[in-house]
Amino acid sequence: MAKKGWDEFEIGAMLRSFDGSIDDIAGTRQEDRTYSENNSYKASVADWRLIKPVFNKDYCIDCQFCWIYCPDVSIIARDKKMIGIDMDHCKGCGICVEVCPTNPKSLLMFPEQAEDEAEIASWPKKDEEEA
Amino acid sequence: MSEIKKIKNLKEFSTSADRFEGANLLCPGCAHSIIVREILNATNDDLVLSASTGCLEVCTAVYPYTSWDASWIHIGFENSSTAIAGAESMYNALKTKGRLKQPDRNPKFIAFGGDGASYDIGFQWISGCMERNHNMMYVVLDNEVYANTGGQRSSSTPIGSSATTSPSGSISYGEKMNKKDMMGIMAAHNIPYTAQVAPNKWKDMVKKIQKGFATEGSVFINAVSPCTTEWKFDPKDTMMLTDLSTDSLVFPLYEVIDGKEWNITYRPKNVVPVEEYLAAQGRFKHLFKDEYKYLIKEWQERVDENWAYLQRREEARV
Repeated sequence: MAKKGWDEFEIGAMLRSFDGSIDDIAGTRQEDRTYSENNSYKASVADWRLIKPVFNKDYCIDCQFCWIYCPDVSIIARDKKMIGIDMDHCKGCGICVEVCPTNPKSLLMFPEQAEDEAEIASWPKKDEEEA
Repeated sequence: MSEIKKIKNLKEFSTSADRFEGANLLCPGCAHSIIVREILNATNDDLVLSASTGCLEVCTAVYPYTSWDASWIHIGFENSSTAIAGAESMYNALKTKGRLKQPDRNPKFIAFGGDGASYDIGFQWISGCMERNHNMMYVVLDNEVYANTGGQRSSSTPIGSSATTSPSGSISYGEKMNKKDMMGIMAAHNIPYTAQVAPNKWKDMVKKIQKGFATEGSVFINAVSPCTTEWKFDPKDTMMLTDLSTDSLVFPLYEVIDGKEWNITYRPKNVVPVEEYLAAQGRFKHLFKDEYKYLIKEWQERVDENWAYLQRREEARV
């Protein structure tokens, strides 16, 4: 949405999160919500990232530690399964990788320009010493 | 809708639909949003929220964006507590007059504030709300510094910490004052529920928050929130730092019911020396110089003393 100039701000603004009304927000998943243009869900902070998490679902045990500890609501969990990462909102902090309990980890950080498929193909093997 | 949400394990918890959105401007690895998510997901009821000026407020309401999928208001630095108290009073008045459009809904009133807005600037307002016993919850996101304005000391900043207004150097070891015992002060208001929480112990936290929601009257929550920018550690280590803070007993997890019943809710199996907690943070780096090493010993003694005090309070039931 177009950015306003410093002298165009409204005094005391009210922003609506949604277009129209949602009766039960806590029971409506993000993909079913009618976000308005003012909701930061529509914005992206992907350009903050220097490194990005890559998810390898072969090792994931769906413990959901990454979901609860993600500060940016970027771990997508549906029906008790971790299904992916919201790359528009991930800032690349790396907390999800730190809290991942599997061996080898099912989430690892790679440089932003890395190819996901190539990194998953060459995923590190189980670290015996750590176990 | 007023029954307590059932959260048995993390898998069940992960079916919650978040009411806090990404693409807010909080630093990568900020614990604020982890705490906020855990609190908001602890209920399915409607929410009426406010935030004091501070990191959480400036980062989640950057015009023209909002990151909140609930009624949310920001007024001034000091009065997130009174804004919510006012909303709660109005709700009660309309309820009494029978003018609510949906009287079966049971909204929860929550005010958020940083430690600067709670320990210093909004102290009087919070005290007033607690004294009048509004049916609301006040949550302090305690990162022990005015992180939003550039790292000035607040009355929550612990002794020996290097803040921009109390820097460490050749003649000073940084902050000279000890941290204000906000939990004790709030418990002394004899409000129904006071608790200290940490985001790493999510189950303990959710339990306390739900207990707070079920309580009629004021609830005060103090949440430890490691700040990657001002505590000076790597963003990925946020949860490690929170683990250290709870396991070293710098932030003991406990609750106070009616100002009398003190319950310690988490007793670490292996208590970590405070030195490890201090060593993980850049703001305490200078304490490891020879001339300031005595402060680490003092830190340990103070933490042990506080832990012993809490245990005595728990036992005494007064």
